[in-house]
Amino acid sequence: MKIETTRFGIIEILEEKIITMPHGILGFRDKKRFCIIQHKEDSPFYWYQCLDDPALAFVITNPWLFKPDYRVDPTPAIDAMGWEGEPDKLPLECYVIVTIPRGLPEKMTANLIGPIVLNTEKREAVQIVLLNDAYSHKYPLAKQAA
Amino acid sequence: MLVLTRKSGEKITIGDDIVVTILDISGTQVKVGIEAPRGISVHRSEIYEKIQEQNRLAADVDAADFVTAEKFWIPSIQHNGRKESTD
Repeated sequence: MKIETTRFGIIEILEEKIITMPHGILGFRDKKRFCIIQHKEDSPFYWYQCLDDPALAFVITNPWLFKPDYRVDPTPAIDAMGWEGEPDKLPLECYVIVTIPRGLPEKMTANLIGPIVLNTEKREAVQIVLLNDAYSHKYPLAKQAA
Repeated sequence: MLVLTRKSGEKITIGDDIVVTILDISGTQVKVGIEAPRGISVHRSEIYEKIQEQNRLAADVDAADFVTAEKFWIPSIQHNGRKESTD
C-alpha cells in the first residue's frame, strides 16, 4: 500500500509490515500505526514512520549495537498486549528511540528506559517503561558526547 | 478530581480490580501500595513525563542532523567492538 510521509514523500510498503501500537507512543497516544523504514543497508538507524501522521517519524536503533549488556524484561509488554505463549519463545524485537537534538547531532542520545517491544509475528508493538534505575533516558550515543 | 481523605492502613478501590492502600505516612512522605491486574502499568508519574518529553524531542529530527549523526555513530561502534583494548 502507498503511504504518505513528510520526510520521504509517498512510499510503498507491504501491508503485512504495518506495526500496530494499540497504546500509541507515550506523548503520542493517538498514533497507532507505524512501519520501520531501513533507509540504508549499513546504517545503525531505522526510521519509525507513523502511518497516522505523515509528519511523525522517530529514529530508532538496536540497543545491543551500542550497549551489549542492555537487558529488557519483556513481561510488561507481554502483559499490556496480552500476547499469548511462552515468553521465551515469542518472536520479540526491541528498539530504542534516538534523540538527535537540532543542530547538535553529536549530542544524540538513546532512551533506554522507554524501549519499544515488537512482536514480529503479530506485528504489534508497545513502548514500555523499565524499572531499572541504572538506565538513562538520555544515554549518549556518540563518543564525542561522553 | 475526586478528593478523599484516608488514614494509614485505609484503602481506595478503583473499578473492580485496582486497590490503592495507604501504607504509611511519615512527615511529607506517603507510602502507597497499589494492587492492579497484570497489563495495567503503574509507575511514578515523573518517569512517564520524562519519556513523553523525550519522545517529543525525538520526533523533531532535522534531516541534515540525521546524516551527521550517522557519521558520529561509526566510531562508537568500533569503540564497542574493541572494548577490551580501549577500556
